[in-house]
Amino acid sequence: MAWETVIGLEVHVQLRTRTKMFCGCRTTFGDPPNTHVCPTCLGLPGALPLPNAEAVRLAARGALALGCTVHEISVFARKNYFYPDLPKGYQISQFDQPLATRGRVAFESPERGRIEAGITRLHLEEDAGKLLHDRFPGKTAVDLNRAGTPLAEIVSEPDIRSPAEARAYLTTLRQVLVYAGVSDCSMEQGSLRVDANISIRPPGETALGTKTEVKNLNSFANVERALEAERTRQIGLAETGGRIAQVTLLFDAGAGEVRELRSKEESHDYRYFPDPDLPPLVLAPGWIAEQQAALPELPEARRARLEADYGIPAYDALVLTGEMDLANYFESVVAAGVEAKMAANWVMGDVMSSFNETGGFPVGAPRLAALVTLVRDGVVSHQAARRIYAELAQHPDQDPRAAADRLGLVQVRDQGALSAWVDEVLTAHPGEVARYRSGEAKLMGFFVGQVMKRSQGKADPKGVQPVLHERLSRR
Amino acid sequence: MSIGRDDVLHVARLAELAVRDEDLPRLVDQLNRIVDYVAQLDRLPAEAAADPQAGESDPDDPFLPGPAQVTLRDDVPGPVPLARPPAEFAPEFAEGFFLVPRHGAMEDL
Amino acid sequence: MSAAAVARDTGARLAAADAAGLNATLYWSQELLDAEARRVEALPADSSLHGMPIALKDNIVTTDAPTTCASRILAGYVSPYEATAVTRLRGAGAMVAAKANMDEFAMGSSTEHSAFGRVVHPLDPSRVPGGSSGGSAALVAAGVVPAALGSETGGSVRQPASFCGVVGVKPSYGRVSRFGLVAFGSSLDCISVFGRTVDDAARVLAAMSGHDPLDRTTLDRPSMRRPEPRRDLRGLRIGLPREYFPADLHPGVAAGMERARRATRELGAELVDVSLPHSAFAVPTYYIVAPAEAAANLARYDGVRYGPRRIGAAGGIQALYQATRGEGFGPEVQRRILIGTYVLSAGYYDAYYRKAQRVRKLIADDFRRAFTGGVDLLLTPTTPTPAFRAGEKTGDPVAMYLADVFVCAISLAGLPALSLPVGRSEGLPVGAQLIGPFFEDEAMLAAAAALERALGADAEVR
Ligand SMILES: [Mg+2]
Ligand SMILES: [Zn+2]
Repeated sequence: MAWETVIGLEVHVQLRTRTKMFCGCRTTFGDPPNTHVCPTCLGLPGALPLPNAEAVRLAARGALALGCTVHEISVFARKNYFYPDLPKGYQISQFDQPLATRGRVAFESPERGRIEAGITRLHLEEDAGKLLHDRFPGKTAVDLNRAGTPLAEIVSEPDIRSPAEARAYLTTLRQVLVYAGVSDCSMEQGSLRVDANISIRPPGETALGTKTEVKNLNSFANVERALEAERTRQIGLAETGGRIAQVTLLFDAGAGEVRELRSKEESHDYRYFPDPDLPPLVLAPGWIAEQQAALPELPEARRARLEADYGIPAYDALVLTGEMDLANYFESVVAAGVEAKMAANWVMGDVMSSFNETGGFPVGAPRLAALVTLVRDGVVSHQAARRIYAELAQHPDQDPRAAADRLGLVQVRDQGALSAWVDEVLTAHPGEVARYRSGEAKLMGFFVGQVMKRSQGKADPKGVQPVLHERLSRR
Repeated sequence: MSIGRDDVLHVARLAELAVRDEDLPRLVDQLNRIVDYVAQLDRLPAEAAADPQAGESDPDDPFLPGPAQVTLRDDVPGPVPLARPPAEFAPEFAEGFFLVPRHGAMEDL
Repeated sequence: MSAAAVARDTGARLAAADAAGLNATLYWSQELLDAEARRVEALPADSSLHGMPIALKDNIVTTDAPTTCASRILAGYVSPYEATAVTRLRGAGAMVAAKANMDEFAMGSSTEHSAFGRVVHPLDPSRVPGGSSGGSAALVAAGVVPAALGSETGGSVRQPASFCGVVGVKPSYGRVSRFGLVAFGSSLDCISVFGRTVDDAARVLAAMSGHDPLDRTTLDRPSMRRPEPRRDLRGLRIGLPREYFPADLHPGVAAGMERARRATRELGAELVDVSLPHSAFAVPTYYIVAPAEAAANLARYDGVRYGPRRIGAAGGIQALYQATRGEGFGPEVQRRILIGTYVLSAGYYDAYYRKAQRVRKLIADDFRRAFTGGVDLLLTPTTPTPAFRAGEKTGDPVAMYLADVFVCAISLAGLPALSLPVGRSEGLPVGAQLIGPFFEDEAMLAAAAALERALGADAEVR
C-alpha cells in the first residue's frame, strides 16, 4: 500500500544580535563557560528581563521576508518546565499572541515541482544554556553563556510530503533568512536547529495520523535521513498492524536510526501565561511598514533578476543565488567589467570551491575581474589563470598581472619565440609531421599541445596555430 | 471541583516538590479549602465576568497595572555586573561550570 | 547627630530589640552600620536622607548582607548585585541598618511563616505584628529605625502598619523599581515604606521612586517629590466605599474609623458614599493571580546555581530538585506553589486564571469609576480587626488570607494607598486606609499628612 507522508518542521534560528534577548550580555560562541552571564540570564533572585530592540527588529524582518503578518500587539509568555539549562524554571517565549503568523516558503520540491509550504507562526523566545555530559564523571556540567540568546521559532504547516521536500524547504528557508540578514543559520554553531513532526496516512485521507517528533537533527542531510528512517518505521508498524505512538525520537546519525527518547511518565504541561514582567510588545503599523520596505531582494527575486539582467542560464542563476554572498560576489565581478557568463563560470568554479572550504572569498572581486581580463586579453591562458588564482588565494595582496609575471605565466606572442618552439616540436616529431602532411589534419591539436608543453604553458595558443600552419604547409 | 490525592501528586510533580506521604492528606484538605474558597468567583454572573460594560473593551484584554506597552533596550553590550563570580555562590562548580548530578534522560539531549 | 553616632545608636537599639525577643531582624552588624556611616559622611550633607538608618525587608537584595526571604532555600545567599531602590536610597544618604524578618517569600499576613521564627508584636508579645513585612513594621514601631522598606503584593505593608501603629505606604505600581526585589507576584509586587510619620515615609518613597531602565514595568514619568503637606482637606471629596464598612467590623476598628471620619470632616473634606461592588471578590481573585505568578517566580530556586542544595536519596537531577525544593520551602510557600501550578495547569486555566484576570479588571474598573466620578481619595479601614494572637489563624490558610480583605483589591488595581494610625483599641493600634488614584501618590500623602496631624495616634478609641 502506498502511504502519504505528512511533515511539519519547527525551526529555531538565532537572531544576529550583539547581546542576549533579555540582558546586555554578549552573544558569543566558544568562549570559556559562564563568562557571559549576569543576574538576569542566571535567573538570580530579583532580576528582571530587559528586551532587546534589535532582536525584535530582526524577528519582524524575518517574518516579513517569509510573507507573515507581523502583529501590532504580541505578548511574551512564560513556558514553565524544569531543566538544568533553564535558569528561571521557565522560558520566556510567545504563546497565544505570537509576533507573526501566516507566511509561506515557496521552494522546488524534488517530486512535485514548485510548491509552497505555509508558515503557521514565527515567535520570539530565549535560548537555554548548554549541558555537557561527558566532561565530569557522573555529573552534568552547565554553561549558561548561551542562555538567553535571542531566537525566532518558525513553525511550518504540515504541508511537506517527503523527507527530500523537508530538506528543500529548509534550504530555501535558510536562504531567505540569510538574505534578510536575520540569522547566520549555521547548524555547526547551533544558530539553526530543526525539530520535525512526521506522520503517515493513506492517500486521499485528510485527517492527520498520529505524529512523532524527531529531534537531534544536526544537518539538512540528516533531517532527510532521519525522516526517511522514521517514515520507514511508521509504515512498517502500520503495515504489520502495529500502533504508532506519539513519542519523541532522537536520530542517531551514526547508526542511521531513530531511537525513542526515554518517555516521560507525564505529558508536558507548560502552564503558559503572560509574563507579568513584560508589558505587551506593541509595534506601530508605520514601523512594520518600514521594516517591510527595508527588506533586501530575496533569493527568488534575485534569481529572476540575474537571469534577466545578465542573460545567464537558469541553472547558473540558481547556483549563484544559493548563497547570498556568492551572488553578491558574482555581481561585483561583473560590475568590474567581466562578461557575465565568464564571471558566472569563474564564480561557480574555483571561487565556489574556496567559498565552500573557507566560507569566504580569498580573492577579492576586483582582483578576480582583473585576472579574468588578463585571460580575455590573451595575456595569460585559462590554465595559467587558475594557477594565478591559487597563488592570489595564498597571497591576496598581489596584483594578478604581477603574479603572472613572477610566475612566468604571461603568454608569449612574439613570432620569433613561437617559431623557435614550433620548429623544435616539428624537428622532434618527424613521423607526425609526415602523417599530417599526408592528410591527418587532426594532428594539429597534438602539435599545439606539444608547443604549449615545451613553452611551459606560456605560448599563446591563438598565436601558435598560424605559425604551425605556415611551417607545416612549407615543403 | 475538588482536588484529589492524584491531583496533588501531579501538581507537585510539575512543581518539582517532594511531598511526604504523611503530609499528603493534610495537603489535600488545605488545597481543597483554598480551591473551594476561590471558586466563589463562579458566583459572579457570567455576563458580568465576561463584559462589564458592553463595548468597553475585550474582557480578555489583560488588566495592566503598569505601562501599556513594553519599552525595548538598545542592542549594546553592558550587563548588570556581578560583584562576585558564580564560583562564589554556586552550590557545586568546577572549571567554570555549574555541576548537577548526571541524569539518564538528559544525556540524550 | 553625626552619621557615625546614628550608626552606634541604631546598633544599640537593634541589640535591645533582639534582647527583647522581637525577632524582627535576620541580619545586622555594627560593622555594616559603621561602614554605612563612613560612606554617608562622604556624601553632601544636604542629601535628602542624610544619615537616616533604614531597615530592609529581607527580600530586597544587597551585596553586603545575606538576602534569604526568610527561607531555608536561600539560607546564606548573598546577592552579587544590589536592588535599584537600595542604590537610590544609599545615594540619597540613607544607611542600611538591618535585614528584617518576614513571612517566607512574603507569603503570609502575620510573619509567623518565617523559617527563622515569628516576629513578636512590639506592644504585646502574644500578638502578631501582621505581615508579610512584620519585621520591618516591628522595627519602626519599636523605635529602632525611623523608616523601613517592606514589600507589598497584597497588603503586606499596610496591614502590618495598621497592626503596629505606624505609617505604611504602598506606592502606585510602576512607581518604584522592582529590580532587586525578589519576585512573588510580579504584577502586584511593590517595594513599600514604613515610617514613624507620613513625612518620613514620603521622603524615603520620593528618594527611591522613578523610572528604572532595569524594570520595564516602571513608568517613564517624572519622579515623585516629597509632597508639601496640606494644612486642611478643604475642597477634597473623600469616598467611603460601603463594601469596606461591613456590619460585623470589629468595634475597635469601627470606632477608629469614626474618629478618622470626624477628623476628615473637620479638616474640611466632603465625605461621600461610594460603591466598589467587585472588591468583595478581591481576596479570591488575589489567591489565584498571586500564586500563579509565584509558582513561576519560585521555579528558579532549584539548587542548581545558588542557594543550599539537597541531594535526594534517589540521586539524579529530579531528586535534587524535589529534595531541594521540598525541604527548602516551608508549608505556606509550598501550598501557594501547588495552588498556582494547579490554576495554570491544563484544563483549569480558563476556570481559574483567565477568570481571575477578568475579575481583576472589574475590580480595577470600580476604582477608576469612583475616581473619575469626582472622588479624590477613598477612606476605609486597613484591617478588619486589630492585631490577632499568634497561632490564631495558622491552622486555616483561608482565615489568614481574610486578614487582607480590605487591602487586596487596591493591590490588584495597582493603586497607591497607605495606612495611618487612627488610635488604639484596648491598647492595640487601629489603622485607616487612604487610597488615591493611579500615580496620585503625592496628593494622597499630602492629605494623609493633614489627617495625621489632626488625629494624633495614641488616643484610645474604645
Ligand atoms: Mg520554542
Ligand atoms: Zn545576561
